[in-house]
Amino acid sequence: MGGEGSPLTPNFSRLSSQSNVYGLAALPAGEEGPGGLLAAALKGKVIHFRYHELQRRMRPLASELQFTYIPVDAEIVSIDSFPKSPPQRGLVVGITFIKDSGDKPSPFLNIYCDYEPGSEYDLDSVAQSCLKPGAAVHPFQLCHAEVRSGDSLETVFLLSGNDPAVHLYKENSSSHQFEEQPIQRLFPELQDLPSNVLWLHVLTLPGSASHRITAFGCQSGHVRVAHVDQSAVLQSWSIQQDGPISKVLVFPLELDPDTSGQGDFSVLVASTMELSVVYRDVLRRGLTDQCPLPGSDLHDSVLCALAPDLDFDGHPELLLGTYGQELLCYKYSQGEFRLLWSRRFPSPLLSLLYSDLTGDGLAELAVVCVRGLHVLQVRHRLEPGRFAVSWSGSGRSWGPPRTPPNKPGSGSSWGPPNPLGWAWDHGGGGARPGLVHRETLGGA
Amino acid sequence: MRSVSYVERVALDFGGSLFPRAICLGDADNDTLNELVVGDTNGKLYVYKNDDSKPWAVRSCQGMLTCVGVGDICNKGKNLVVAVSAEGWFHLFDFTSPTSKHPDASGHHELAAAEEQKPVFKQHIPANTKVMLINDIDGDGKCELVVGYTDRVVRAFRWEDLSENSDHVSGQLFLLKKWLLEGQVDSLSVNPGPDGSPEMMVSQPGCGYAILLCTWDSEQQATTEGRDNSAPGSEAPIRDVILHQTSGRIHNKNVSTHLIGSIGRGSSSENSGSGLFALCTLDGTLKLMEGADKLLWSVQVDHQLFALEKLDVTGNGHEEVIACAWDGQTYIIDHNRTVARFQADENVSAFCAGLYACKGGSNSPCLVYVSFNQKIYIYWDVQLERMESTNLLKILDCNPEFGSLLQQLGVERSDVSAVKNLIHKTLYFPEKWQQSSDTQCQDPAGIDSSAHCSVIQDPL
Repeated sequence: MGGEGSPLTPNFSRLSSQSNVYGLAALPAGEEGPGGLLAAALKGKVIHFRYHELQRRMRPLASELQFTYIPVDAEIVSIDSFPKSPPQRGLVVGITFIKDSGDKPSPFLNIYCDYEPGSEYDLDSVAQSCLKPGAAVHPFQLCHAEVRSGDSLETVFLLSGNDPAVHLYKENSSSHQFEEQPIQRLFPELQDLPSNVLWLHVLTLPGSASHRITAFGCQSGHVRVAHVDQSAVLQSWSIQQDGPISKVLVFPLELDPDTSGQGDFSVLVASTMELSVVYRDVLRRGLTDQCPLPGSDLHDSVLCALAPDLDFDGHPELLLGTYGQELLCYKYSQGEFRLLWSRRFPSPLLSLLYSDLTGDGLAELAVVCVRGLHVLQVRHRLEPGRFAVSWSGSGRSWGPPRTPPNKPGSGSSWGPPNPLGWAWDHGGGGARPGLVHRETLGGA
Repeated sequence: MRSVSYVERVALDFGGSLFPRAICLGDADNDTLNELVVGDTNGKLYVYKNDDSKPWAVRSCQGMLTCVGVGDICNKGKNLVVAVSAEGWFHLFDFTSPTSKHPDASGHHELAAAEEQKPVFKQHIPANTKVMLINDIDGDGKCELVVGYTDRVVRAFRWEDLSENSDHVSGQLFLLKKWLLEGQVDSLSVNPGPDGSPEMMVSQPGCGYAILLCTWDSEQQATTEGRDNSAPGSEAPIRDVILHQTSGRIHNKNVSTHLIGSIGRGSSSENSGSGLFALCTLDGTLKLMEGADKLLWSVQVDHQLFALEKLDVTGNGHEEVIACAWDGQTYIIDHNRTVARFQADENVSAFCAGLYACKGGSNSPCLVYVSFNQKIYIYWDVQLERMESTNLLKILDCNPEFGSLLQQLGVERSDVSAVKNLIHKTLYFPEKWQQSSDTQCQDPAGIDSSAHCSVIQDPL
């Protein structure tokens, strides 16, 4: 009963003040990490959201974390977090904020990291251990990337500023400090920037720790994508668009399931003014093979994007969050992106995160809106002999589901190697199509 | 406490002011789809249909409308709209499309001629009405009209047909009984008693309630048998109001209390025995009870609860208790005391919940808020997947096959992180991404994988 096509209703946590596009960070889960996510509100407040199990019930918990050395009149710009690359241990949180004491606003970068053995992953003690790597320039996005340092891997902070430049902060393990280091040695592709970088995405290519794709978009509309081997730029492409670039995202996209391997990486470029586009197979074709996302300019600016695998078919879908309060989901099939479903939110969408918050191996979608944090769970329901998991933004009927089966994609290449025999349907009918996935336990 | 956020809403224009009970959802025109019926203090009755912000029908009544209702009050198998004014004017309206008597009418209803705007029936009943209920309160299978008054009186009426013509509404309301209570009556409801027969229940201040006994059958018997015509004087002390207090320690004995009975508990449970009913007070106490002495749960909130409804938001047959506060904070609580909150954007002057056909030509569960700014907001399709937050492990744990599948895969069921890993890899890393990488995957986008996938091939 209830209709499988019905929209999943998210859990909602109100933020004390509005957040921004840089205000969401995932926390590592597992045995050591605290799990959950950090959402930063403008007025100096950071919320730690997670699911907590109490008396065999899952309870959503949103608590305020007191990070030290954030003054009351500070406005948080960006937040980021990462676990240190093994063998080092510990959780690192970076927060940039602007303290406006009247005449001259001054920017800061605070990095929180506890070196006390036993409390490296304890969020409360991390929040009390502040390192100040010096005054920053006017901050934009704070992100991190893994680099090879000697024989080991190390994760560093990358902060884009209004100089315009990207600044690199690397841990000095002997002095227990984070220090700014020149960008050109580790990230030569981030030199000579024409404008402020609004979004930077560094993706380390799987299977090789030194190869990466770096993509960034600037306020001026400049987009650059580079293929880098450690400290040498192998190839670099750039393009000029009209209007600020709100988001760039490097993601794997299989163009032809029969011929291509795993080297197919595409770049999504979301613009505040124009249609969002995907540049396909950037490593081979550069920024020449453009594929638009139809209708992505109809709901005001696109502010956030994500490429999660929502339907468990091994291929990512594209999620775009817009200022026009819509979450759009696109699926790539037969050479083009099609809008699969859209879902309306009560306020403009600012950032997205796809991460396992409930600790079951199944990721949840966190959406930060102007008024608060929504967590959307995949709908899973158990019926005798059958189990269904679905993501959906559709379904208006109060009654039996309407799901005419329609199997897209080629069946041969797509063989889910699971014991549960996934099958999937497109939720048909209505103005908002959705996805319904079913699996038969022990069936098939 | 879990909070939810509903997005799908329509705003209806409503210029007047209204009494909190002058709003209801029901199938006013017998097309199987529910409409919203609202009465204002100037005697105007509005019927809203679909997502149209303008009323589908407007009628004029005499006096200030204090309560409206939709029901088969004449017992002819057809819903009529009832509007009662404070001055005691009882109006009946028939909104059924005259061209088609079948319920599959298209819903396009042309505004009828002027004489059709008038009520099909009007009668004066005692004044100072406050609340109204159309329901079968004595178990005879026919609807009665019960009206609560501001002077602590409750009266029950029955419709008596005067004409043989079934299509035409001609008849009269006859007073069945009058009860006098100690405290103000804020809610009227019917709830199955211990023997399964309906009991008339009214709320009493201080989180109390009273059961009103329907004694007219026995009285009638007494008079028809003609034992003693002077008996009424001696029969007067018969107790027809049984008062219950649900708590000895109530902070404020005079606090306004609402009540709702016959809360659905699914088809699986046996229908015998006392029904579930809920109580709420203006100082924030919420209770769910089964019969007079079984308290299922009690919740204390820091909001002034002024309206209590029931609605099945999860679609499992169990109706949740919905309580609304003046500031728009709405509590949705299931039978296991799992709470979900929803904050409406504005202060509300009246609230109701139920099924309404807003979009798509089908009824969906809705929350209806009347604001102070000339708008009625309907949050439609307020379904929740489930009341509790849960995760996939808990869901799968309920399935016996899950255990045997895990066994075949050699995964220990109690090893949560191994099971979690298995689920993660099954869902996100199909075979083709398989590669010998030991790195723990942080990116669910499907870049990384592990050799684990091959293990979970065809276990059957």
